[in-house]
Amino acid sequence: MNQPRPSADLRAASEGLATTFPALMVEASRLAASVAMGDHGRRRAGVGEDFWQYRQALPGDDLATVDWRRSGRSDIAYVREREWESAHTVAIWSDTAQSMDYSGKRGVSSKGERANLLAMALSVLLSKAGERIAFPATIAATPRSGERQLQRIAQAISTIEQARPEYGSVPEFGDLKAARSVFLSDFMGAEGQIFPPLKTIAERAGTGCLVHILDDTEEVFPFDGRVIFESMGGGLSFETHRAKALREEYREKLAQRCAALEEFARQAGWQYLKHYTSQSPKAALLWLHMVIGGQR
Amino acid sequence: MSSLVFLTPWMLLGLLALPLLWWLLRATPPSPKHLRFPGVSLLVGLKDIDKTPDKTPIWLLLLRMLAIAAAVFAFAEPVLNPETRTDGDGPLLIVMDGGWASAPDWVARVEETERLLKQAARAGRPTVFASLTQPLPQGMPYRDARDWLSVLRALQPQSWTPDRQAAIDWLGNEGGFETYWLTDGLQHSDADLAIMLDTKGPLRIIGTSNRPLALLPLKLDAGQLSATVIGAPATAEAITLTAFGAAPNGTEVSFASISGTLPAQETEITLTFDMPLELTNRVTRVTLQGQTSAGAVALADDGSRRRKVALVGASIQEGPQLVAPLHYLRKALEPSTALIEGNLSDVLLGAPDVIILSDVGALSIASSNKLLAWVEKGGLLVRFAGPRLAADGAGQLEDDPLLPVRLRAGGRTLGGAMAWSAPKHLSPFPEASPFFGLPVPADVEVFSQVVAQPAPDLAKRTLAALEDGTPLVTQRQQGDGRVVLFHVTANAEWSTLPLSGLFVQMLKRLSISANTEGDAAVLDGRMWMPDKILDGFGRLGSAEMVTPVSGERLANPVGPDAQPGLYRSGDLRVAVNVLRANDMLAALDIPVGASIEVLGQTNEQSLKPWFLIVALTLFMLDILGTLWVTGRLFNRGATRAMGLILLVGLIPAPEAKADEARAILAANDTVLAYVITGDPTVDNISAAGLLGLSTALNQRTSIEPITPIGVNVETDDLSLLPMLYWPITSNQPALSDAAVQRLNRYLATGGMIVFDTRDAQLGSGFGVLTPNGKALQRLTENLDIPPLSPIPEGHVLTRAFYLLQDFPGRWSGPDVWVEASNVDTDQNDGVTPIVIGANDWASAWAVSESGQPMFPVGRGLTGERQREIARRFGVNLVMYVMTGNYKADQVHVPAFLERLGE
Repeated sequence: MNQPRPSADLRAASEGLATTFPALMVEASRLAASVAMGDHGRRRAGVGEDFWQYRQALPGDDLATVDWRRSGRSDIAYVREREWESAHTVAIWSDTAQSMDYSGKRGVSSKGERANLLAMALSVLLSKAGERIAFPATIAATPRSGERQLQRIAQAISTIEQARPEYGSVPEFGDLKAARSVFLSDFMGAEGQIFPPLKTIAERAGTGCLVHILDDTEEVFPFDGRVIFESMGGGLSFETHRAKALREEYREKLAQRCAALEEFARQAGWQYLKHYTSQSPKAALLWLHMVIGGQR
Repeated sequence: MSSLVFLTPWMLLGLLALPLLWWLLRATPPSPKHLRFPGVSLLVGLKDIDKTPDKTPIWLLLLRMLAIAAAVFAFAEPVLNPETRTDGDGPLLIVMDGGWASAPDWVARVEETERLLKQAARAGRPTVFASLTQPLPQGMPYRDARDWLSVLRALQPQSWTPDRQAAIDWLGNEGGFETYWLTDGLQHSDADLAIMLDTKGPLRIIGTSNRPLALLPLKLDAGQLSATVIGAPATAEAITLTAFGAAPNGTEVSFASISGTLPAQETEITLTFDMPLELTNRVTRVTLQGQTSAGAVALADDGSRRRKVALVGASIQEGPQLVAPLHYLRKALEPSTALIEGNLSDVLLGAPDVIILSDVGALSIASSNKLLAWVEKGGLLVRFAGPRLAADGAGQLEDDPLLPVRLRAGGRTLGGAMAWSAPKHLSPFPEASPFFGLPVPADVEVFSQVVAQPAPDLAKRTLAALEDGTPLVTQRQQGDGRVVLFHVTANAEWSTLPLSGLFVQMLKRLSISANTEGDAAVLDGRMWMPDKILDGFGRLGSAEMVTPVSGERLANPVGPDAQPGLYRSGDLRVAVNVLRANDMLAALDIPVGASIEVLGQTNEQSLKPWFLIVALTLFMLDILGTLWVTGRLFNRGATRAMGLILLVGLIPAPEAKADEARAILAANDTVLAYVITGDPTVDNISAAGLLGLSTALNQRTSIEPITPIGVNVETDDLSLLPMLYWPITSNQPALSDAAVQRLNRYLATGGMIVFDTRDAQLGSGFGVLTPNGKALQRLTENLDIPPLSPIPEGHVLTRAFYLLQDFPGRWSGPDVWVEASNVDTDQNDGVTPIVIGANDWASAWAVSESGQPMFPVGRGLTGERQREIARRFGVNLVMYVMTGNYKADQVHVPAFLERLGE
């Protein structure tokens, strides 16, 4: 009622932001609505909603908590215990490097768009379930749950930084302890940018999943003739006279990278998914849901 | 035999570059594509196994080679079938036929002559240049060829034929020169110039492919204009003749065109125009399309005009034919004029050129005013005397403007049993008279005549007199026209003049009929001043500095001293054409073995433009091909742009078909219409009223109108509407002229307008009009409203469908006015075009959408009865308009009387 009016530039800024990520939010929530998630029961008594067990009322228990129905059947007073449901902390990293802007064909979303969509949809799902979400190295880095955190996440994803690296490197988690970690990237950077940080994160407790997002053309390499390849930011360039001749070698190198990632995931107990932008995002989301939300 | 020659053959060395180009293009790889690809990080470190660069595709290579080869060929100037011209030596004579037949392709001839002169100048040959229609020089004035260029440029084709005999005379003693003769291909006279020139040295005759055609003078063939086209025999040719004349605003427009074909070996063809008399009389010239020469223009003068003469006699023709006055006039004038007969008012409507009144006495005031007005506008009135004229006393007591002189009562009788004197003969015609020069036969006698009152100017007005000086034919100018009186009758009663040939000639001389007897009769003995001169190209120009020509000279073929055109002498005008009536055109006689080179028919064809076009097209294709190979053809921006450009061309233009829809609506069904006044309340009431009336008609009668429409009299077409309901408001704008015309036409062709001032004439009295009444007056001041009267008893409107006694609307009381019944018109079956009332019928008829009446009428049951009568009146109105006056037939009266009796 007597709330102070928000200042004009804040409102303008928020409105500006609102125009960028409602589409993302709508799409993400639509995607998320097709997948349902819930609180994880911890299989022990604690704070939660589900019934766990009855225990005898001890001195110090509030009379209001006594379950009279059960107590009425016997002489002692019983207290209804609930299962300890606690929210997980899920850390999600969506690669925002320049290489993610690539889209091989017109009409197919870029890898970055796909990664953002999956990240947002997953966040929506998780926040519905009451989990705490953190996007490390962004403004949504502290794990929180709720609508505000979703808005913060959307803002973090939609803001395009000025100086983006060519290839993404896995961020440092710092003291963020996450039960689950999700990495959405194309993993095309140098090995040193990818594997050591992942190893550090894997050494803490928690599971993770690597979603390797690739474009079809990156997999198939359909180029021929005299081509000068350039990276998305223009930093790297490679000239070839017969691109067709390089195809096999390139694919081999790509397969090596995928194998390396898969091997790492297996060793760390994590999951690995290779997702093409031409595939439906729902498939990836379902997989993520299964991996992250399914474990009880 | 076709042969290909290169004018700059050293350019073909460029073809040597082609293999070099091949090797070059093959060796250099195409420019690389630039691709943004994140997988570059994985590519780094890979090495190209196969170092052979990608080659330009073969088809692109061939395309480029072909394009360059075509360009090289184009610049080497290939020419197919080149002309071989061998130049000669020695003195040169270039002769040009500068007559009318050279005019159509004059430019080509001048260009060729210029080329020949320049060639001669380059070769340094002494040259003489002459045109056979200009005065020829003495001897052979040889000069450097370039000096003749200025003479050539100032030369224009003339409208007469080249004088070949003069050329033969000129060159008779000369010799030893080569001749180039640019001829028009016609043998105009017997002079064999070609044979003579052939003896002087080498002869080259140069002609053109144009076949000269000419028009003979125009003739009237049974009242229609006919023109004959002549030409020398050659291939068949399609011809089109166009007749030009003056439009009412003075500009020259083409009246009609006819086409025909002159077959291959024929030399002439006659075509006849099918035009009404008025147009034929206004034709000034006929031209042959496609030939811009003086010979292809035939000027029209009075000889090709037929005058419209009206014969008006006494109203009752009694007695046998030969005694009828009009018989002789008819016989005299029929061959050469268009005659109309009838009573005076009818005849005036036909706008004749001449009116001949035979023995017509005093005319009614209205008729004489109309006649006088007609005379003053330039008409010729010829009157013949007779017993009635003498008895009526016309022109005796006072000056009659329709008689040239005052007449004496009594007349004169010469010869006969009771007189002393003998019938008189005519005296020779005075110089000032138009009859001057006509031979007077000795057997023309005058027995009786009306006599003119002596007056000071009688001698001036006399055109013909008897032996004793008594005027026989008098004339007076009246305004722009003339009144002529023959003091005798038009039949043989009072004189033998109508029996003689002199009568016909006199009528002709009065310029009543056309000059159909050959030009010689008209031309002789007069000096003719040229009004307009026809130049070589067939254009009429003004004649300055051209001297008068005698008639005899004009009768001979045209020449520099008698150029074709329009000539004037006194009042007479004559057209002199290039050709005479019996002329023929024949092809030029040339010596055996020689031939006419035809200009412009060189088969020489330069192939340079074709090769250039091919090279350009191939270069365009090469650009497209290169773009495609480097992958830049179908990127996003380009495809979008191409698509946009294509789509723009395919957008169809929207069409407004509102008017058509409305016309179709009105044509398919009966539609009652109201005039949109601009006041929305009134318009709504009108619409609702007509809707109610349409409903009533649908229910009660076999007329089934659809929803009424509003019309804007300024813009909408009224022709398909049976009835127009016009509610008057005091602020309706005045009608524009176009709207007035449209409404008048509507009324004249059977439409009916119902004016409704809607105010029950409250507040009007003697001479005082209500505001709506004033508005009505204002609106209708230019409409053709007939005399009006209140609806009389027994008018068809009282019994067209229902039997009515009064015609109420919302009000009842004031009269309803329709066309007065004493006006004798059979127009539109006597259906009144106008109904004017003040009873506000639309409000009485108005129904809302639910079918309930919108406005109260009267009070209670009487009011409803009044509304019912108003509806019946509406039904009667529409029935009357749709069915006409058949209810007025007497056959219905018994039933009517029976019903009334009940």
